[in-house]
Parts: sequence; C-alpha cells; structure tokens
Amino acid sequence: MHRPDRSVTSPGDIAVELREVDKTFYQRQRSERFRDVLTNLFRPTIREIRALRGVNLAIRRGEIVAYAGPNGAGKSTTVKLLSSVLAPTAGTVRCLGMDPMTERVPYVRRIGVVFGQRTELWWDQPVAASFEWKRVVWEIPRSRYDEMLAFVKDLLGIGEFFHTLARQLSLGQKMRADIALMLLHEPEILFLDEPTIGLDVLAKRNILDFINTLNRERGVTVMLTSHDMDELEQLAGRIVLIDRGRIAYDGDFVELRRRFGDRRHLTIDTGTADPPTLAGVRSTGSDGNRHRYTFDAARTPITTLLQQASAQTVIHDVETHRSRIDDVIADIYQDWNTEHG
Amino acid sequence: MSVLTTVAARWRVQAHLDFMWMTKDLRFFLINVVGDVILNLAGVTAVFLLAERFDGIGLWARDQVIFMLGYAALVRGFLDVGFSYNVLHISRRIGRGQLDHLLVQPQPLWMGLLTEGFMPFSGCWSLLTGAGITAWAVVQLGAGFPVQWWLLFGANLLASCAMALAFSFLWGALAFWAPVAAEEMSSRAVGFLYQLKAFPLDGLSAVVLTGMLTVLPVGFVAWYPSRQLLGIAAPHLWHTPLAALLLALVAGIVFKKGMEHYAQTGSQRYIAWGHRG
Repeated sequence: MHRPDRSVTSPGDIAVELREVDKTFYQRQRSERFRDVLTNLFRPTIREIRALRGVNLAIRRGEIVAYAGPNGAGKSTTVKLLSSVLAPTAGTVRCLGMDPMTERVPYVRRIGVVFGQRTELWWDQPVAASFEWKRVVWEIPRSRYDEMLAFVKDLLGIGEFFHTLARQLSLGQKMRADIALMLLHEPEILFLDEPTIGLDVLAKRNILDFINTLNRERGVTVMLTSHDMDELEQLAGRIVLIDRGRIAYDGDFVELRRRFGDRRHLTIDTGTADPPTLAGVRSTGSDGNRHRYTFDAARTPITTLLQQASAQTVIHDVETHRSRIDDVIADIYQDWNTEHG
Repeated sequence: MSVLTTVAARWRVQAHLDFMWMTKDLRFFLINVVGDVILNLAGVTAVFLLAERFDGIGLWARDQVIFMLGYAALVRGFLDVGFSYNVLHISRRIGRGQLDHLLVQPQPLWMGLLTEGFMPFSGCWSLLTGAGITAWAVVQLGAGFPVQWWLLFGANLLASCAMALAFSFLWGALAFWAPVAAEEMSSRAVGFLYQLKAFPLDGLSAVVLTGMLTVLPVGFVAWYPSRQLLGIAAPHLWHTPLAALLLALVAGIVFKKGMEHYAQTGSQRYIAWGHRG
C-alpha cells in the first residue's frame, strides 16, 4: 500500500502545535425590558466570550489524543482552528509545519476532518458518487484511489451500502461512509469532532476499532473529541481536558485518576439491613442486606474500610470496582463548576 | 494541471452527479422538465401577452420584446446551470454554517463556488427555454446578424449573468455579519431581479431608471443590453460588461471582507438543510 511522503514535516516530529492560543468571540446581549429597546438598538451590550485562553498544546506524530471538556469548553473551536475554518485571536497554530489559515489549500490536502453532526456525503446520491466526487476535487491519482477504496471498504465494511443513496443510510452507516470518505486522500492527521455521536454500541465499537487500526498500521495521528469518556479511554493514550478555554489536564488516564481521585465503588453484603458506618466513604444506598459506598482509594485503603465494617457486623461478601472514567470526569466537571460558581 | 483543466474536471464530475440525480426516476425526470419549462414560460408570459395585444410596448416592437424575454430567460438559465446548490443563494450557505464544507476542500474558494453548483442537466431546461424564445425572436426579427453582433450578444449575456451573480453575492455577504437575519437575503435579491427582469423599463422617470441601473441593477439583466443589441438605443455595448465588472469588483471586496470576518467569528450555528441535497 502506498505511503505518502512524510519527510517534509516540522522538526521534532510534532504534528500539531498550539502556542499561547487565544480565541475570543463577541456575543450581543439583549435585555427583555421594553425600556431598554433603544439601548438594544444603538448601544447593545457586547459580552466577550474567551473560548480559548493561552492554550499550549503539542501532539506528536502517531499519537491518539483525546480532547475532552464540558459543553462550551472550547473543543470544537480548537478543531475549527486546526481545520482552516477559524483564525486564532492571538497566538500561533501550526500543524504539519504549516499555518492552517495562510496555507489552507495545501494544508487541508494533508488532513482529514469529520464533524460528527455534519456530512460530506452528497445527500441524494449513492455513496459511490460522493467518493468519485472526492477523487476529483482532491485530485487523487486513480491507482491510489483504488487502493484506498479497497482499504476502507475492507476495514469499514462500506461495500454493502456503497451504491445506496446517502439519505437512506442509518446513522452508523453514514458515519462509516463519512470516515471512509475522509480517508481517501490518505490524510496524515485526523480531527474527529464527536465521531460517534448518536451511534449504537456496536457501531461505536466498529468506528473505534477502525481508528485504532489506522493509527497502529498507518501511523496516522488522531485528535478526537467526545463526551463518551469510556470510549476515549479505550482509544487514546493521552487525554487533554479543557475547561473554560484553558487546558486543565494533559496526561494519561492513569495519572488523571490518580490526580483527581481514584474513586471506587464498594458493595458489602452483611447479615443485617443496617449499613455499617464507615469513615472516609460516602454511602450510596442499601438494598436489603447489600450496602453500597463510594470512596477515594488513594486516601482510604480498602483494608481499613473492611476492618471497620467487620468490627461492626458479619461480612458475607464484598465487591469492589473502579469508577468508570465517565464518572471520574463528571466529578471533575462538577468540581470545576463549583469552583467557578 | 492548468486551472482550466481543473475546473473542467470538477464540472465533469458535477455534471455526472447531476445526470445521475436527474435520471434516477422517470416520473421525477418528467416532472422536473415540465415544471421548469412551465415556470420559465410563466415568467415571461405576462409581458409577452402585453406585447402581443398591443403589437409591442412603447419603443419596442413585439418581436423585440420577445427577444428581450428570451435574453432574460437565458440569463436565468445560465445561472440555474452554473450556480445551483445554493451557490447563487450564497447567504443560505453562509447563514447555515455550510461554508465550512468548502473551507476544508483543497481548492481556492472561488473554484469551489464556480464548480460545485454546476447542474447542466437539471438546470438546462430554463436555458433551453430561453434559447428557444431567443431563436424564435431572432428569426422573426429577420435581420441577418453578423458574427460581430453574436460575439457582442455573448459578451453582454455573460455580463448580465455576472451582474445578477454579483448582486446576489453582494447582498448575500450580509449573512457574514447577520447569519440568521440575512440567511435569505440573496434569495430575495435574486427573486427581485427575476421578477423584474422581463419588463421594458422605458418611460420610467430618470430617478427610478437610474436606481434600476445602479442600486438595484435589474435593468442590466435584460432590458439595457437588449435595447443596445437591437439598436433601440445608441449601441454602447460595453456598458453592461463594464457595469458587471464594477459590481463584481464591489461584491468581491465585500465578500472578501466577509470572509475575513468569518475567519474571526466562524458560524455560531449549523443547519444541514439544503446542503448537497
């Protein structure tokens, strides 16, 4: 299979580099009071929204980076900055050694972008027609196109609906077709903004497996945003958490759990309906003789809890498991919300 | 690959998409064709009936009016063929956030706009109607027009199309600053030109006429070039191309400003409606 020449990349093997990037938007505010009509018309209040504040981020070639954060944190803004759609208010954005805004045409030839709720497919045409359109507009040589088509057909299983009208595809099929379409020109880096939004479990797994294969076999760099933290943890070695325009965490998932609390769930079966009173835990309810707690394993060792419980009652059974990463992140978001009031 | 070859390749693939779309179903095909022809004929019927009833309108003989109607239909035909998929109604694309799709394509924006709306099969029925009416008028006029006249006719026709397109882009660019409020702006602007394109504007007051040739340049869509071509007025056949050039220049500057603004603000919303479908 053909491999594009990647020798012309920026030094240090850095694929994406954001330095002190600010992005500010302005929103017009409007009072609903009748007496403010003239003010609304002639001197409206403008609110400054700082979508990104001094963001520094570097992604190495071949990395898969999860880019996560609550709604409005600045994820999509970052993806748009890297897709030649938006310019930063301040700071520099470089990707594959290029400036996405001033070198848009050669730059977008080397990247692939998927916005989860948008499609590049021609709606009233068979999927095949969109692929042929892409071949022409991206000026992909026929032999490379044929190779890539065979590759994506095989891995994404789009052959079964290749001649179906795009508007007749299911959500999962449409996303597979969109991702396949994005890959035809062999992009060196993929920006995936919520690529699995609305998909069922199986479709999600297929997409994630494919991204993984692509990264492993072809060394494609991937930056993806999602609200599904479990899927991000499955896929990415590194997570960047963004909150109110600032990078709040940049590292791996293990460190994330350690830093923000290694939250675990504990279930104890006892001989009585009265739950044992344990220090340093939060009771989350009882169901007959089964009592459930959550605790931070980094602060409170489980052996201590079991000693406390056994001192109060007879323990018949114990179950413990780590919180899903979704819960960990939800706690982090909640903490951030509390901090910011 | 030269620019022309590149544009031709893109037109070819768009033509293929259009042909496949047009021929997906026989009933759909027939409804499309008949509907387009009826719409185009209806658009010029009122003026035609007036010209027929009174054997012309003002300075215009009946066959001259028909020539102008054919010219107007040709302008619409060319715009339908070249700038469908909301390229002509650019404010819809801007206002709905669909410009992002063009920005992630490895081609200059102008090339995307020039080629993505090419629909030679589904859009050609207006063009054929216009060509038919014009041909009939030329035969009725009985004048053997020289080759030079046909060249000027082509240049003026192209200029009239450019004028309508520039007018649409000029108003449509408002959507960069007011995406929701101006989403339908270019549709209104084009609608205005289409509604008035077939009326002979002679006899209007100087103020109104000046307005019809400057602020709302509907006069350049068919009336002004037709009266020049037919010798009804002094033959200043470079007026329409010059006016088109000026308006295109203004529209280009405003659109460029709009794009610079878009790079700062992006689109705050996205609606898929009308995108590639």
